[in-house]
Amino acid sequence: MDKKYGVYICEGCGIGESLDIAALSGVAEEEGYSVKTHSQFCGEAGVELLKKDVAEGTNTIVLAACSRRVFFDTFRFEGCITERCNIREGVVWSHPRTEYPKLTDEEKEDEDNFDRVQMMAEDYLRMSLARVEKVKLPEPYAVENFTRKILVIGGGITGISAAIDAAKAGYDVTVVEKEKYIGGYAAKIRKQLPFEEPYESLVPPIIQSKIDELEKYSDISIKTNTVVARVAGEPGNFTVTFKKPGEKIEFDVPYPLPEEMKVDENGKELDAEALHEKYMEYNKGRRDILTLDPNGEHFGAVVLAAGWTPYKPKEGEFSHLGFGDIPDVVTNHQFEEIAAKGPVVRPSDGKAAKSVVFIQSPGLEKSDVDFDYAGAVTSLVALKQAKYVREDYEDGKSFIFYQHMRTPGLTESFYRSTQNDPGIFMSKGSVASVSKNGDGVFVEAEDTLLGDRIKVKADMVVLGTGMVPATAHEPVVNLAYRQGPAFRDVGLFKGYSDSNFICFPYETQRTGIYAAGPVRRSMTMEESMEDAAGAALKAIQCLESTSRGVAVHPRSGDMTFPDFFFQRCTQCKRCTDECPFGAIDDDAKGTPKPNPARCRRCGTCMGACPERIINFADYSIDSIGSMLKSVQVPSEDDYTEPPLRILGLVCENDAYPALDITGLNGLSYSADVRFIPVRCLGSVNVIWIKDALSQGMDGVFLLGCKHGDDYQCHMVKGSELASIRMKKIGEALTSLALETERVAQFEVAIDEYDKLPTIINEFVASIEEIGPNPFKGF
Amino acid sequence: MTETYMVEPDLEFIKEVGLLGAEDLKKCYQCATCSVACPISPDHKPFPRKEMIAASWGMKDQVVKNADIWLCHNCGDCTTRCPREAKPGDVLAALRTYAIQEYAVPKKLGKMVNDPKKLPVLLAVPVVLLLMVGLLLKMFGIHWLNFSPSGEEIVHAKFFSTWLVDLIFIPTFFFAIGVFVLGLKRFVGDIHEEALKSGKTDKKKIDPKGFIEALVRVIPEILKHKKFSQCGENADRATSHMMVLYGFIGLFIVTNIFFITLYVFGIHGPYSQLNPVKWLANIAGVALVIGAALMIKDRLTATEQASTYKDWFLVVLALLLGVTGMLTEMTRLGGAAGLSYTIYFIHLVFVWALFAYVPYSKLAHLVYRTVAMAYAEYTERS
Repeated sequence: MDKKYGVYICEGCGIGESLDIAALSGVAEEEGYSVKTHSQFCGEAGVELLKKDVAEGTNTIVLAACSRRVFFDTFRFEGCITERCNIREGVVWSHPRTEYPKLTDEEKEDEDNFDRVQMMAEDYLRMSLARVEKVKLPEPYAVENFTRKILVIGGGITGISAAIDAAKAGYDVTVVEKEKYIGGYAAKIRKQLPFEEPYESLVPPIIQSKIDELEKYSDISIKTNTVVARVAGEPGNFTVTFKKPGEKIEFDVPYPLPEEMKVDENGKELDAEALHEKYMEYNKGRRDILTLDPNGEHFGAVVLAAGWTPYKPKEGEFSHLGFGDIPDVVTNHQFEEIAAKGPVVRPSDGKAAKSVVFIQSPGLEKSDVDFDYAGAVTSLVALKQAKYVREDYEDGKSFIFYQHMRTPGLTESFYRSTQNDPGIFMSKGSVASVSKNGDGVFVEAEDTLLGDRIKVKADMVVLGTGMVPATAHEPVVNLAYRQGPAFRDVGLFKGYSDSNFICFPYETQRTGIYAAGPVRRSMTMEESMEDAAGAALKAIQCLESTSRGVAVHPRSGDMTFPDFFFQRCTQCKRCTDECPFGAIDDDAKGTPKPNPARCRRCGTCMGACPERIINFADYSIDSIGSMLKSVQVPSEDDYTEPPLRILGLVCENDAYPALDITGLNGLSYSADVRFIPVRCLGSVNVIWIKDALSQGMDGVFLLGCKHGDDYQCHMVKGSELASIRMKKIGEALTSLALETERVAQFEVAIDEYDKLPTIINEFVASIEEIGPNPFKGF
Repeated sequence: MTETYMVEPDLEFIKEVGLLGAEDLKKCYQCATCSVACPISPDHKPFPRKEMIAASWGMKDQVVKNADIWLCHNCGDCTTRCPREAKPGDVLAALRTYAIQEYAVPKKLGKMVNDPKKLPVLLAVPVVLLLMVGLLLKMFGIHWLNFSPSGEEIVHAKFFSTWLVDLIFIPTFFFAIGVFVLGLKRFVGDIHEEALKSGKTDKKKIDPKGFIEALVRVIPEILKHKKFSQCGENADRATSHMMVLYGFIGLFIVTNIFFITLYVFGIHGPYSQLNPVKWLANIAGVALVIGAALMIKDRLTATEQASTYKDWFLVVLALLLGVTGMLTEMTRLGGAAGLSYTIYFIHLVFVWALFAYVPYSKLAHLVYRTVAMAYAEYTERS
């Protein structure tokens, strides 16, 4: 594409009053660009002006005005690169003239005086000009053999609902169920929780009506007694091999080598070919991930609705509650099995269980933590089962001892109706012990609403154990990915298949695979049905986005994808290993095989690559490198007391919006900092930091999201990876005789805009203390 | 460490108090707003939160034997503020009714008094009793009951002899006292035992002298309605309650004075309207009628608080008692002989019903609340 440039400077929103627009225009004009100014580019006349220029051939626009986060659609022109140079939120609003006064005419005469705000705006314009020189208009990636068929793994109430929802939207669906019949757990219970107004009484299982509805759709095919052996390929073109449960076939998915097998006897890392050999040996009888099953079926996206299994207490785990020793102490799952058969009876002697105690928290070591994998649903199940006892016996009594009674939303009405039953007794409290009492039991509870220590006589005790996601035990999806068949275990999800539970429901860490139901968290059937609709829509979004060659999530609509310059690849495998989404496979030699449709365009591979051969059309090592190199770093040659120059690399998901809000609220921060938004801190390549310091910048900081248990990274691990890389860069700095403190990383949440000025100013002050970069002026 | 105690919910109990007006009991989620809202609850182990949980768990002994349910004056502040509409005020009222039935022997009679279906039977008892005794005596030649009283002046005693009235009413009065004495014996023992168990007091034994002193200190406060007037929601009820209480006290005094006048001095009524005792009688009668009428009006207009049969039984009985009493007098002065004699008989029926059913009706609070308040004073519960 031959670029025809146009530079536009908006004078609205206080920009014209604050800045010397003629001088700013001069920056671009010096470089040979033509500059147009307008009092309000977002207004009708302003947009018309831009449109006219675009119609006349301008295809690369630099618009110095507001942040790119506003008026996105107004300034988007087909086939045109639009660079938004943020001089409103980023310069004028965040550096009010009340704090940074303009130079008076008198001051201007002395060349040793400078206007920090004007300098900032001019640098940003230079950076924008440098960027547009380097970026290209993206072209969509087309998936071969694209198909819109959806595979639903799991034929329980979630899978059935997802299949119906997808079929209703006009998609072909295949449901696989490992058991002989579909219906799952929903078909094995006595009654289910209410799922509609007035949410007061139990309802008979509705699964049969769901199955009947499912069978009406000709676009849905059902495979029972079937599991997924492997899913290979990428969204829009997955090749899926099915098999009977327990069968061993050559297309069973291979597993990656355990870490300890990746080294030789001396602890030295094996080379790519030796590794591959070892890997094939380790997975004897199974084909490599890159070998496609010629008999495999094609699918475009997968809904994972594999459900859950009842928690099986370990030997002696709840011995203080009598589990294992007293046959009448059972789990809620075992109780449901008994209740499904008829009136509740004791397992020990088959006599009526008229007094039943439901325990919601194991209460060990004075802890108030509930049973593992419990949640609102286990509270609700206790209420439900308490009602069974009352249904079965007029003089029946149910006791519920809980630490948490979770009845979210309208299920509160169900709680109330249960509470109103004269024979159901609830109290917060921790159960201290369950002991034998003749043919019954005594349950002792502490810190209850009725007193410090109470004792209850019971026929049976039910433990509110949790719902273990199917993905906790086995991968289920069996992805033929180099990183392994399961979702990456980031040590946070306890086997649940989610990538970010709060922000991105249904999203797993693998694009094209959408989780629904209890594989995400313990949930009721009502929630599972709703969840199924969400995951089905996500699968549809994936198909439609992939068909247009754009990213699904979270950079929805992004048409770029990583482009590898393979000639210079050293097969170091870092990109394959570090990709948070397993988008990159590699061959026997270790050469990466990107799968763009699996990619989320975070750029982690670009940040990881030591050879810097991975780039995006509009985001590359060179584009960012050029931007930071275009920043003017004043030295003592220029001014007696030159200002500092500090680079801030800002995650555009949370930190950059927070910065905008800082400006929007008129909070100011140091005018010596230049910010460059990055897709994710994971995409920050250390070369940028080295470049910045070697051209004389005094410090560099990274501004990204929180990591750890409550991580907020859109790309799961970006800010964490960056912090690891920053630790390593310290050594490089020391070798250059630079202080390690010149590089820092800060965590900020999107709503912490008010903390930003302090973070920035404190860093600037710390650099001031260290003193200017000794390389300045070289 | 406190003792572990066994909780064995009494489903029957929950059902029964539900029928007595505590049907919303189980809605309580133990937020304790009620205990905070209550203007008269003590700071240490305040009610009614603990009574709410104990009752909803069917722990009959813990609530029936609990003196705190009697310290409650049914202000209704808790009920108004309860976020779950569990109506703690009504629950405590129901618990008191249940407790009254528990302590008054025979229990069966207690059940009947609180059962609307049994009302005709209960009212038939005095009718039959009054007539039967009168007729029986007639058979033995004692004409204390005279269906055609003669003379110019209307003298009720000529129709229904004072001898006959007292022959029936004095034993009835002592019967009620007896039932109370039996009930109180258990009641005091029980509330003390419960207070010890729940740590509300550390006085091991009740010292009778101290207890009576406490009673003496409490009675003026009751007469002044000191607690009642601290109520927020139902503060208005203090006035009508005071009128009814003083009405009854006045009439009780009058009855005793005339009893002595008759039997000691042999002066027979009707007495002159100028007699100061008669003044007291008339004032007390009017106070009773107005007080009872106000109570009924309050109950009819109160939407927050439930009024159950036990409440209506008492307020209507009080009103009818007052009205028939006043009408008897007015018809007598007006010279409507037949009417006056009839109303007088009806009046006697109500008076008997009040006396005989006191230990079983809501009016028993007169005794139990007084004793419970004296006990609280004695144990320095504050």
